[in-house]
Amino acid sequence: MSDALLVLTPVAVPFVGAVLALLLRERVAAARGVGMIALVTLAVLSLALFRRTAGGARLVGSVFGGWPQPFGIGFSASLPGAALVLVTALVALACAIYALSDIGPRRRRAGYDALMLAMIGAVNGAFLTDDLFNLYVWFELALISALGLLTLDRRRTQIDGAIRYAAFGMLAATFILLGIGMIYGITGTLDITRAAAALAAGSPSVGSAVAAALLLGGFALKAGLFPFHLWLPASYHTAPVTVAALFAGLLTKMGFYALLLVFAGLFGVGSGGVAAAQLVPALGLIAGATMVVCAAGALAQTDMRRLLAYHVIAQVGYMMAALALSTREGLAAAIFYMVHSIIVQANLFLGAGLIRRASGSWDLTRTGGMVRQEPLFAVLFAVPVLSLAGIPPLSGFFAKLIVIRESFDAGMAWLGAVGLLAGLMTIVSMALFWSDACWKDPRSGRTQRRLPGSALLAMAMLSAATVAIGLAPGWLWTVAQLSAKALGDLG
Amino acid sequence: MFMILLVSLVGALLMPLFARMIGRGAGLVIALLPLGLLVAFIELAELVERGWVLGQGRRWAPSLGLDLTLRLDGFSFLFCLLITGIGALVIIYAGAYLTDKSRVERSRFFLLILLFMTAMLGTVLAENLLVLLIFWEATSIISFLLIGFDSRSARSRRAALMALQVTAFGGLMLLAGVLMIGHVLGTYSMAVAIDRADALAASPFGGPIVACILIAAFTKSAQFPFHFWLPNAMQAPTPASAYLHSATMVKLGIYLLARFEPVFAATSWGRATVITIACITMLVAAAQALRAESFKSALAYSTIASLGILTLLVGLDGPAATVAMVGFLLSHALYKAALFFCAGSVLHATGMQRLRPKSGLARVLPLTAVASVGASLSMAGIPPFLGFISKEFLFEAQLESSWEIAPLAAAVIVNAVMVGVAGVVTLRPFFLGRGEGSGERPIVRHGESFSLVVPPLMLALAGLIISLEPDWITRAVLRPAVAAVYRAPVNVDIAVWHGLTPMLLLSAVVVTIGALIVRFWHPIHVRLRTMDRFDTLAVERLWEETLRGLVRGSTALTEVLQHGDLRRYLLLVAIGIAGLGAWSVGNLGLFPRLPTDDPLRIAPAMVALVGLAGALAATRAASLLGAMIATGLTGFATALTFMMNGAPDLALTQFAVEVLLVVLLTALLLAVPLATAPTRTPLMRRTDAVVACGIGALLFCGIVDMAANPQASPASDFYGRASYLAAKGHNVVNVILVDFRAFDTLGETTVIAIAAVLARSLLMTRGGDVPAGRSQPVHFSFLMSGRALSWLLFAASLVILWRGHDQPGGGFVGGLVAALAFALLALAYGVDWAQRALRVNPLTLVGTGMLLALVSGLPGVAAGRPYLSHLWWEPGGWLPKLGTTMIFDLGVYLVVLGAVLTFLFGLQREAAR
Amino acid sequence: MTALYAFVGAAIVACALFMILSRNLVRVLLGLSLLATGANLLLSLVGNVRSEQPPIIADGQQTLGTAADPLAQALVLTAIVIGFALTVVLAVLVLRAWRAEHTVDSRQVDSAEALGPPQERDPTNV
Repeated sequence: MSDALLVLTPVAVPFVGAVLALLLRERVAAARGVGMIALVTLAVLSLALFRRTAGGARLVGSVFGGWPQPFGIGFSASLPGAALVLVTALVALACAIYALSDIGPRRRRAGYDALMLAMIGAVNGAFLTDDLFNLYVWFELALISALGLLTLDRRRTQIDGAIRYAAFGMLAATFILLGIGMIYGITGTLDITRAAAALAAGSPSVGSAVAAALLLGGFALKAGLFPFHLWLPASYHTAPVTVAALFAGLLTKMGFYALLLVFAGLFGVGSGGVAAAQLVPALGLIAGATMVVCAAGALAQTDMRRLLAYHVIAQVGYMMAALALSTREGLAAAIFYMVHSIIVQANLFLGAGLIRRASGSWDLTRTGGMVRQEPLFAVLFAVPVLSLAGIPPLSGFFAKLIVIRESFDAGMAWLGAVGLLAGLMTIVSMALFWSDACWKDPRSGRTQRRLPGSALLAMAMLSAATVAIGLAPGWLWTVAQLSAKALGDLG
Repeated sequence: MFMILLVSLVGALLMPLFARMIGRGAGLVIALLPLGLLVAFIELAELVERGWVLGQGRRWAPSLGLDLTLRLDGFSFLFCLLITGIGALVIIYAGAYLTDKSRVERSRFFLLILLFMTAMLGTVLAENLLVLLIFWEATSIISFLLIGFDSRSARSRRAALMALQVTAFGGLMLLAGVLMIGHVLGTYSMAVAIDRADALAASPFGGPIVACILIAAFTKSAQFPFHFWLPNAMQAPTPASAYLHSATMVKLGIYLLARFEPVFAATSWGRATVITIACITMLVAAAQALRAESFKSALAYSTIASLGILTLLVGLDGPAATVAMVGFLLSHALYKAALFFCAGSVLHATGMQRLRPKSGLARVLPLTAVASVGASLSMAGIPPFLGFISKEFLFEAQLESSWEIAPLAAAVIVNAVMVGVAGVVTLRPFFLGRGEGSGERPIVRHGESFSLVVPPLMLALAGLIISLEPDWITRAVLRPAVAAVYRAPVNVDIAVWHGLTPMLLLSAVVVTIGALIVRFWHPIHVRLRTMDRFDTLAVERLWEETLRGLVRGSTALTEVLQHGDLRRYLLLVAIGIAGLGAWSVGNLGLFPRLPTDDPLRIAPAMVALVGLAGALAATRAASLLGAMIATGLTGFATALTFMMNGAPDLALTQFAVEVLLVVLLTALLLAVPLATAPTRTPLMRRTDAVVACGIGALLFCGIVDMAANPQASPASDFYGRASYLAAKGHNVVNVILVDFRAFDTLGETTVIAIAAVLARSLLMTRGGDVPAGRSQPVHFSFLMSGRALSWLLFAASLVILWRGHDQPGGGFVGGLVAALAFALLALAYGVDWAQRALRVNPLTLVGTGMLLALVSGLPGVAAGRPYLSHLWWEPGGWLPKLGTTMIFDLGVYLVVLGAVLTFLFGLQREAAR
Repeated sequence: MTALYAFVGAAIVACALFMILSRNLVRVLLGLSLLATGANLLLSLVGNVRSEQPPIIADGQQTLGTAADPLAQALVLTAIVIGFALTVVLAVLVLRAWRAEHTVDSRQVDSAEALGPPQERDPTNV
């Protein structure tokens, strides 16, 4: 397949799948089949795409309509994007397999497959686009499909959660839109590479300062960073658990990717750009506050989904800390952390879903006994739990290690110290989680249900990925370094 | 060494499978693995004896500074022998000890123990500090899992969590320390770090590095104030306690301290801190050992005391201290593991844990009693056992070191207590109370078995043999170990009799006091137990309080932030955005520039101000209807503004959107109460107004500044030039939408399509799409004009769609107008009628439209051009030009039509319910 | 003129934000719709050419003469339609919430967070 076509597939395949699933929505089996085929195809093609870009900074470009580069919308697979597309495909596939036992005919008739595929397409689009306005469009698409997924059951809690989600999401989208529009007004182009060059050539102005603040605020809302994180623990836990896993894995990371793209790529933070240099200390403060506040939030919860939702954003805090270091290595650390976090967060939600299925409750005070009842599950679940807690040799250990190390090297040891503190809180929280869910006897009187094999398979896929990263961290680090270089070279 | 580690790891994963299959005798089979490893290490003894350091390196993740480098020197060698040797005995013992557990649990235990052994070997063999850290953390986690092995018991879980919290805290400190070392030296090699200890200590990170490493070591080796986790950890099955929490894992802290002695010695406060902590630990642990009520906890406290002694010896300077440390390390591992085994046997045979009853068990468990005696004599430091020799070394080291009398006094007291504990744990259960026929006699469930007896006997015997026949062990183990720690050869002379020395005198004093403690143990014990101050002073409470405080604080913080009030959430967001903007502009220190040469035009200005007036009215409207009308006014004024500024496409779209919004929102407003009580206090409204104005001011500054310095847009110029020539369209905006930037439009169309799916899913009435038709009252004038008007609108929408490429219009506006036509029908004849008139499900329209839009990009691909490259066919003459953009625009038209109809029918039906 | 439009746009955004901060969800909804309008007005100012001529190539011409920036218009058009879709979706949500809870006061539409306050959890009692 030609490069230009291959670059398209991460968006095109889910979209075609979504349309077919939409037309076939009343035939549940067909819609399910379409979804599965689309995601398997996506996984294969993403792997091919990644293999073609993994060697380094080689871009594979496609410009829609065949217009010269800055005039059409550029779409390219360079390193961070291609790697993230691959991880997205993995998580999406695992969630689809998990969904076989979690998403029933009623939810599928409500449009699960079409919404899910549209969301995957939007996430991939954001990872691959070279155009700022196109990025905005993908965020809107992700927002609206996420709203659909969130309200699949039309339960009261879901409607209320969705209202919160929507209010924050629309606010964020407006800020992003204004920020992007102002960047266009200042640089005369929407192409990220050219806009970055124009910003680097010009001097900072009030306009660019306002645009940077708007973009930071807008994407920080999407990424769930303090103090813009409140919508996330207010809504994620209402979604069906497969959906929550997809959200936890992908959406905040999509927001953070945009922050990377804007601050590292567009404003040249980390490669000497001055266009937003005045905001860098704010990035550090946001990161530090996010890590601690959200780790504390997790400690305060006994509902598994809310607890994990807080961990989702605490982890984004680490990525933000890496970005705030504004060094090349810091960017690489952020990318490493992203890949790790996407896999682990999704896996944790899937695991929580199975605990709930086995013990009948989301509340940790009522769950229990998974070690004795489902030893295989316990082993699979231990991987993301330990990885989140930063225990070696799993991916989370190396992710934290790199962020903290780079904070020392960048002369911002305080950020690393905050990271260690939040890390300790995470360990405490996850150890309690483990003890409550896996060790103690369940308190709910309900008879225990067997876990479906497909769901365990889904977890096994993600756990295997986590272990693989832990055993070969150097490989991912190399990818992350190349990615950081590619991002830094945008400007 | 890699082979050894690999065999150990693979074996750890495979061997437990045997345990599942074999059942009872599994321990003996599985013990072959550690025994084999022991033999493999002994094979290397010759190299170690010559003082060689065996190094091996593999690349793992060089880009991270992570190389799998291992090194075996004398000190590591000593640890490896202990780990594998005691490991083998532990497994044999566990095979018999765990008979009351299920096979699954037993094999899980073996798996954990063997994994632990691997992790321990890795820790002491690691040369790269990161590799050391990885194995170090692994031991913490496995210890957690083993302490919580009996996971149904709340006490086990609590103990496991506590141990993990403390050791993981230490692990993080070690991580920080190692990373700082790497930051200062640029390498993670332990050898380099030790060689350049002075440079490390002198760097600005010197203090933090030493502090981190000390904390890490103190947590792992249960030094004050982190000692409290170890007695709790006795909840683990006894074999695990013997292995992890006395013989090996807790010594890792000592290992780390000994390795990094040059580093902390290079700071002014390092040694003093270590010695002080060690002395406090010894005294606290000694007192607690006498207070302890059960065997295991008495042993645990005496272990803490012993670890204190080891820490003290690491802290003291001089070669004698090193000799004493190595010697005591060995003798302690041997006798303490043996005592744990004996305690476990008693527990297993009788279920008895407490020390107070005198049980006289020597009759039923004679061999265990013998082992206990041997181990206790060693612990008490009675010649000719190894413990005696190590105690001699200890006193010699103290006398030779440059330190004052305080540590010596502490050591004397602690050793005396250890004599006491040794006496008590052997005499009371086994020998005392034999003659008394009291009712307290425990029920003996079974006698001794081979696997339960051999391990403690062998350990006790080893304590005797080594001291009587010390040649090989001195040559191959102790001397290289001392040399490795002291980093210079030291003469180690093990002999029971050194002549009349001050050390012997001290030993005699110690034994005498110890004997008195044994004699008066009961009163001392009871007396100490009544002193509650020990409990209140215990750091355990403090730790728990800290933890509770952490959770309470987290809960309070979360309640403050996550209060559930949407308004305050959004206010925080608005303040955050305003703050970021103020920060960004303020730190730049610039003022916005103003656009010049931009005359005011009266009519457009008036229109714009009408829009503003609408917005202001909307904020003040008491009724929701008024607010909606005012919002609509702003929308229409904006549309007019677009019209007056050369943007007819925008104007058309904005008009259509506003009309539809009014129609759609009316459905909502019909349902909810229009007049509502104010939901904000005047103060809140003022706050909100200030914040909102802040953001408005920020945006104004940014936009004005941006507009003052307009940039050429190469893209717009290109579009202006190429729109007709290359893309065959006069209306540049429409060409951008369907051709130049069609991909945006595709994404946007998908947004609408998904919105339709979502609305359908939310408004789907139970039991099918079309509910029983309910006739709506229809106004006469609608009835007469509705159908004609809607046909007119529908026709207009097709015209707008068709001419969009050249004139204002296009798929979006067309679709919106077509939807208006149906909205009119729905108003006139009711939703059901309109829906029947449509004949297809609106969502099918959406899907078809999406498909058309997606497919329209394919002909270009077939022609070998990128996706969404549009092709044109210009037949000439009276025939119009035809292009694939039209398919695209038709797709957009259908999606918009279908989506708006989905909203319309759904909302109206839902509102009418 | 640009400054006036910028002022009006920014003021509309401020009014919209004031409405969004209300606790009446319908007001929030109207505020978000107004926010989109204000933002679109501001966005239409980012074009680099100020002209009252629509960017439509006159008959017989091959290229565009002086006219308003077509790219900015295309962006605004996309944004208008997306804003419309989102507003309607939010309206659907609010209507559902009204059906379920018979209130549009956001303090009462909070069942998503009404899992009870975070439970006091004693971390030492496991």
